[in-house]
Amino acid sequence: MALLEVDDLSVTYSPRDGTPVRAVDGVSFEIADGEFVGLLGESGSGKSTLGNAILRLLDKPAAVSGGSVRFDGVAVTSASEEEIRPLRWAKISTVFQSSMNSLNPVITIGAQFADTFAAHGREGDPATLLDLVSLDADVLRRYPHELSGGMKQRVALALALALEPKFVLLDEPTTGLDVVVQHNILQRLRELQSQLGFAVLFISHDLGTVMEMADRVMVMYAGELVEDQPARAMMSAQLHPYTQGLLGSYADPRATEISVDYIPGRPPDLSRPQVGCRFAARCPVAIDDCSTQHPQLLPAGAGTARCLLVERAGLVDARRARSFVAVRAEAPAVDPVLTVTDAAKEYRGKRAVDGVSFELRPGQVTALVGQSGSGKTTIARLVTGVERPTSGSVTFTGGVDVGSLRGRKLRAYRRHTQLVFQDPFAALNPTRTPAYALSRPLQNHLGLSKAQARTRAGELLETVGLHPASQYLDKLPHQLSGGQRQRVVIARALAPEPRILVADEPISMLDVSIRAEILELLDNLVRTRQLGMLYITHDLLSARLLADEVLVLNEGQVVERGRTLQVIQNAQATYTQELLDAIPNPVTRS
Amino acid sequence: MRYFLRRAGFFLATLWAAITLNFLIPRLQPGDPAEAIVSRLGGQSQAIDPAQVESIRKMLGTPDGNLLTQYGDYLAAVARGDFGISYTYFPYSVTHMIGQGLPWTLILVGVTQVVSFVAGTLLGAWAAYRRNSRVDSVITLGSTFVGTLPFFWLALVLIYVFAITLNWFPTGGGYGGGSDPGWNWLFFSDAFQHSILPAVSLLIVGPIGWIIGMRNNMVQTLGEDYARLARAKGLPRRRVALTYGARIAVLPNVTGFAIALGGILGGTVLVESIFNYPGLGRMMLEAVSNRDYPLMQALFLFITVGVLIANLLADLLYGVLDPRVRREEAG
Ligand SMILES: Nc1ncnc2c1ncn2[C@@H]1O[C@H](COP(=O)(O)OP(=O)(O)OP(=O)(O)O)[C@@H](O)[C@H]1O
Ligand code: SF4
Ligand SMILES: [Mg+2]
Repeated sequence: MALLEVDDLSVTYSPRDGTPVRAVDGVSFEIADGEFVGLLGESGSGKSTLGNAILRLLDKPAAVSGGSVRFDGVAVTSASEEEIRPLRWAKISTVFQSSMNSLNPVITIGAQFADTFAAHGREGDPATLLDLVSLDADVLRRYPHELSGGMKQRVALALALALEPKFVLLDEPTTGLDVVVQHNILQRLRELQSQLGFAVLFISHDLGTVMEMADRVMVMYAGELVEDQPARAMMSAQLHPYTQGLLGSYADPRATEISVDYIPGRPPDLSRPQVGCRFAARCPVAIDDCSTQHPQLLPAGAGTARCLLVERAGLVDARRARSFVAVRAEAPAVDPVLTVTDAAKEYRGKRAVDGVSFELRPGQVTALVGQSGSGKTTIARLVTGVERPTSGSVTFTGGVDVGSLRGRKLRAYRRHTQLVFQDPFAALNPTRTPAYALSRPLQNHLGLSKAQARTRAGELLETVGLHPASQYLDKLPHQLSGGQRQRVVIARALAPEPRILVADEPISMLDVSIRAEILELLDNLVRTRQLGMLYITHDLLSARLLADEVLVLNEGQVVERGRTLQVIQNAQATYTQELLDAIPNPVTRS
Repeated sequence: MRYFLRRAGFFLATLWAAITLNFLIPRLQPGDPAEAIVSRLGGQSQAIDPAQVESIRKMLGTPDGNLLTQYGDYLAAVARGDFGISYTYFPYSVTHMIGQGLPWTLILVGVTQVVSFVAGTLLGAWAAYRRNSRVDSVITLGSTFVGTLPFFWLALVLIYVFAITLNWFPTGGGYGGGSDPGWNWLFFSDAFQHSILPAVSLLIVGPIGWIIGMRNNMVQTLGEDYARLARAKGLPRRRVALTYGARIAVLPNVTGFAIALGGILGGTVLVESIFNYPGLGRMMLEAVSNRDYPLMQALFLFITVGVLIANLLADLLYGVLDPRVRREEAG
């Protein structure tokens, strides 16, 4: 008998006003004692819902609509809350997706440990637990808001281990943290797991991390498991076309030739009845039967897969179906559109940016790489004229000193520097259609009439790959996928015909399967429209794909700079090396 | 500590501004109080005799001199607690009149506010704890319904049913029939009788806001990750509801309550005029309609200071209850 047995489990959301959504559909798997299992899937595929069902934490309107979960011999799905309570935390604990908010804000960390012990009549030493995750004991006296995101995450992990559980469910435990911090925490987690021997279900949409961490990986798509294999086998032979596409979105940034795959399209709408394979619409190798016949999860390779082709032919190759190949010829020496010279910015006597110089050239991308707090955003604000440098200068083409612009001139300048933000969900007004969002800058900056603006808005949507535009002009943001929203944001940035594009982590919130697609779009736009682009990121792989030149920033200073490939291949600064190490690297795992 | 000092400094500055405004505003209004009194005494039709106006002005000691000296005199007087003589209740001093009205208002409204707050918060928490159950529906729908009823209509219905038709309680006033204000049993039971209807009317509408606020806050806090994690940790359900739900949900309500207490004096005009209750609210209405500047000014000042003190208390309380606020301010 396995530690955790999930049998044909289905979970349905039945909102009061709306059609039911079967977010988890007929999922079966087992996890053995001490096993480290990864659960991979894009946003909305049902990972957290599945996790909550296992923890019996489903809240209305979600409910188990079929199947069962057994944990350590207890029927979790049918037991009463009182029967479950002794299991909770003592045997099965968790770290939530957003641990930022999973600590009680009005009591101290110590108190949160204390009430955990008290609820189970146990004793324990929180200081030792904090030590496990490399935190000081004085954290116990502090309140959650006094800790950084990484510290909170460590606390959450220490808390999860407090009663020495047999099973820990980790739902994207490091999302939103700085890559280096993320890397450290995951390392620690892996060590603790082999030391203490608890079993883990590790939920993530980040394939690299899952592959690196887990013994076995399950892939979820649109509520179903589509593949389940030992990590190493999956590494060398991915069975399902979806998994192949996902794995293709990683590459080693140090390689001389580099390309990444992506999977266009989006998952199906689960509130409609499903026939055939749920991946069919996006599958590059789909056959006719795929749209009518629902594939089963059947043994294949070293595990199981849900695909008609695998079923029939044993193996599919859907790799390199759609790739973004980064071709970086030696960039021509054109005149810069923006020159930053020895710029510094102080806030309350503290130097956020110190002696930074670089140029933005038409048709080229300069990447700014650095940890959170390294001054990237401040530099972006200097470039867009939102902030003035304390010393040094920012000069726009034609000798315009950006730091001295005021009023109307500043506004005229800002038209030329447009921003693409990190979060496509927050960047669009939820009550406004793309037609409106795009028409505003067109009317304000270019003085187009309403009708002209609408036509131009349509053209812009086509430019960013939303085709046909008529289908998107009058949708509301919530009717668009994350990738589509980010395209609208990019189209809006292009609207006033800027000379400079500042993109602040434009892909970090997007699903891995579509990141490369957005990178490719940005790449095209920069080259064809001769934009100068400042690309801000902490992800060296994407910098490698997009940027001609890279500046590595640490504590406001440039610690390394040069042509992207060179910087990456000969990383000198410790920080650059750390960043490289932090890129999940499934290939090198032994 | 810095948080508390800053709050206190802010309080003093606003207090000064309030006192000054209170001095200025009535003086900027058109109309002469002495003339108003004369015309009230003589009826609208009669012509105003300037000599009469002058003598009344003398009698009332209407302020004269330029604005600055008036301001100085005013500040000194406020410091002494001397607000002059009431025009309406001549020859009683304003301070005396306020002393008369204050206990009535304080007891009636103070008690009902506290009861409303406690009951409302508890009911709201109960509804949230049992959300989507029948208890929740009854509490939520019930309070939403009552919340839509106009207060004066409700009060009039109470008077009609219990005072006029059933004759259980007097229709209005603070005391009456045969008892004299004083420390005697007869008076207390009489005053109690008189206070029942106004109190009931306030108790019907009072808890609504607290119920809805508490329920919604707590439904939200119970849905937050920390509450879900508490459940996952195996804490008993009631403990999750208390420490992780109610404890956090009640914070905005506590502040709201402190502010509401400050607003007591201002908020009683309606109930006291409907029930003809001898408190400060009714007094204020009379002061305004008679252009009784001294009384008006003193009452407004009273209200403002009440609200300010309540705000200060609310801030301080919040600082104690919510560790997040303390830190942010301390920087
Ligand atoms: N409260 C809700 N009401 C209706 N549908 C919901 C609700 N919460 C989630 N869903 C739906 O359930 C599906 C699965 O959501 P879930 O949160 O489990 O996905 P996930 O794989 O964890 O995604 P992510 O990577 O973004 O965390 C989604 O299609 C989502 O739209
Ligand atoms: S069943 Fe068909 S559509 Fe689905 S993954 Fe396999 S080949 Fe692609
Ligand atoms: Mg999730």
